[in-house]
Amino acid sequence: MRIRLVFAIFSPLGETMAKHALAVLEDALRARKLDRTLTSAIPPGKGDGQVAPAALTELDTSLQGGLPRGQLSELVGPPSSGRTTLLLQMLAAATQRGEIVACVDTFDRLDLASVVAAGVDLDRLLWIRGHAVSRAESVGLRPQFGVRTAGLSLRPEGLLDRTIERALKALNLVLQAGGFGVVTIDLADASPAALHRLPFTTWLRVQRTIEGSETACVLVAPQSLGRSSSGLTLTLDSRTQWVGQSSRAGASASAGSASRVTAPVSASRSGVRAMSSRSNRLAGLDVTVHVVSPRRRSEGDVMVAATASR
Amino acid sequence: MFGAVYVIDEGAADVLLDVAHEFSSRIEVEAPPARVATEDRTPSTSQVRQVVLDLGGLTQLFGDARAIGEALRQTAANHGLRVQVAIAGTRTAARLLVRASCGSVTVVAPGTEAAAVARLPIQRLAVLAPSIAPVHAPCRSQSHASSHGAALAAFRRWGLRTLGDVAALPAAAVAARLGQEGVQWQRLARGEDLRPLLPVVPEEPFEQALDLEWPIEGLEPLSFVLERLLTPLEAQLDRRGRGAAVLHVRLHLVTKTVHTRSLQLPAPMRDARTLRTLALLDLESHPPTAAIDRVVVAIEPTPARVLQFSLLTRPLPSPAQISTLMARLGALMGEGRCGSPAVVDTWQPGAFAMNAFAPADPESGQRASPPKHRVSVPQRAVKAERATTQPVVALRRFRIPVPARVRVDHYTPVRVTTDRAAMRLDHPVQATQSSVAGRVPCTRGLNGGDVQRCAGPWRTSGGWWTVPAKAWDRDEWDVTLTDGATYRVFRDRSTDAWFIEGVVD
Repeated sequence: MRIRLVFAIFSPLGETMAKHALAVLEDALRARKLDRTLTSAIPPGKGDGQVAPAALTELDTSLQGGLPRGQLSELVGPPSSGRTTLLLQMLAAATQRGEIVACVDTFDRLDLASVVAAGVDLDRLLWIRGHAVSRAESVGLRPQFGVRTAGLSLRPEGLLDRTIERALKALNLVLQAGGFGVVTIDLADASPAALHRLPFTTWLRVQRTIEGSETACVLVAPQSLGRSSSGLTLTLDSRTQWVGQSSRAGASASAGSASRVTAPVSASRSGVRAMSSRSNRLAGLDVTVHVVSPRRRSEGDVMVAATASR
Repeated sequence: MFGAVYVIDEGAADVLLDVAHEFSSRIEVEAPPARVATEDRTPSTSQVRQVVLDLGGLTQLFGDARAIGEALRQTAANHGLRVQVAIAGTRTAARLLVRASCGSVTVVAPGTEAAAVARLPIQRLAVLAPSIAPVHAPCRSQSHASSHGAALAAFRRWGLRTLGDVAALPAAAVAARLGQEGVQWQRLARGEDLRPLLPVVPEEPFEQALDLEWPIEGLEPLSFVLERLLTPLEAQLDRRGRGAAVLHVRLHLVTKTVHTRSLQLPAPMRDARTLRTLALLDLESHPPTAAIDRVVVAIEPTPARVLQFSLLTRPLPSPAQISTLMARLGALMGEGRCGSPAVVDTWQPGAFAMNAFAPADPESGQRASPPKHRVSVPQRAVKAERATTQPVVALRRFRIPVPARVRVDHYTPVRVTTDRAAMRLDHPVQATQSSVAGRVPCTRGLNGGDVQRCAGPWRTSGGWWTVPAKAWDRDEWDVTLTDGATYRVFRDRSTDAWFIEGVVD
């Protein structure tokens, strides 16, 4: 039997037979709805071909139009890698197209000033705020700083897991309701241990829910979670851009000059000693987006420059 | 065949309606002039003095038209009313003749209406003014009434004294001088009807109740009861072309108290399943305190919505779907944790408010419900940012700022650490440096470290003129640490304590 198989693979006739056998196998998997475990070509579904552009020319070109609708995509990266920046850009582009979007904010991290600065139409954004679990709790320590834990288990793992579980339930409710252009879930601050405790079928279920719909689901996480659930994985890394002389280097030299006070005049109190140059500030982020597609539809690196709003 | 009944005594409107209902269910109430202007056809029972009845088919019960008229007058007399009755083949003739019948019954044979009303003075037409439809007046109120007065004045100016004079005019000449409105006046003067009878529909209560043989506890059995009550209500609303504006659920408890919940629905809806789900989700967060004896569901109706979808824009979820979703999310995440964010009128960092999620229709631009909070101060900055095509760096804000220990050199932070050394337990590979960029992959967090670059301080303060809890006074810094992450830290000037406000991401 083994000899026949080897022969089949390495002879021209055998290659045809192998392709036929592969097609039969894929058909059988497809009939049992197990085809999502394949990373090979998947027959196009109802929502295929439709994309949600991010309104960033280079990125959209690399993604062949944008994030695929009806599929679960991921934004993966460490803190300060530009995940939230890119996420808000996608939400802003969707709302400016007239779509409604939803953001499941698992740990209540969304900054409204950043949302507004990104250009998101607030009336079209459904913000689902999870509980602001502190970092200590998110890694399994006791609750601190007056965190409300009423109704939640005080066992740290239970608290964190329940917070994530609630967020996933909320995500399911939003996806089942339908009608949203982009739905995001933010698990960027969840600990890897908590994410590993999630059953893998979670993301398959999400994928099944939005299959054929016009919703692009985006998962923000510190590491790739969706694995083979089709869609795209955007792995981000960034470099912080500064302008002006470093405050550390020029601290002694600049002492004594006037300081920058951003508060309105009526709100500010007395004067303040100057400690830095006015021109020294955070200029932005140079985000490198590495695109990984299970369908090999689009791959490569894209640079996205984001400017600081301060 | 129509009959008009005019009650001579004032203040007997209710009795008049009762008398009319004894003869016919198709009754049109003569609307008072004040209500005509608002197009409200709901009868004001205190001001009604005249009704018009459809008497079709009553001849087999009472005999000829005169017998019906006498029966009407006799029934009214039995109720203590003095009435005048006129019966004619058209509503207009009956209405014109009823006040001229002088206490008796006036009967006009079918086909002779024009001759019967010909002797009436032209002023009698004024009572029919509401019958005239405005031809081109977008605002019907005073302009409408004044045009009526102008037409009648024109007739008087022409020397016409009776309705017969008006009816005898050539229709083409009247149309040439007074337009279609003049023609309509002429048709009325001949006793013709301009529109069919509009019967008054009595107010229908949209309420269902169920007495339970055994008290029920819990929401699951209650859902079946609600389904049973709401299904006929849905059919009733559908039949009347109405939707539910407010849903009242009254639960009579075994403790002899009544647990009442009222749901203001964002849009008229009548789907029984949606209403049941909304009621149950509301009762989940506000459960009754005891077992339930009796369930009453009442609905305040409102005209149903008419929707026109567009081929060019993506359809939004219906208000019923959105309200169901919001109710489910509210029950899951807690009150006030779901909705649309709104900017509030303050410079306090991180301040925001929550509005109900009611996306505006892209074509009409109208929200389903008005926002509670409105954008104020940063609106100008938003427009400026939108003009650019570059994304804007976002901040991940810790809603509870993380206390930090910051070493300062020459008023500048040089090292930032947190008291969370135990956090490293969760990042066992954080010491591993990335071979490419020399950065820690996927494990950067609040690890702390030396400051590589920083900028600041940006001092903000405010709220000190209000309650102390809302006051802030601080110096903000943007710092990039050796772990590669950029943070926003601030020093609280009142306590001289440092905090990490968020991560630039």
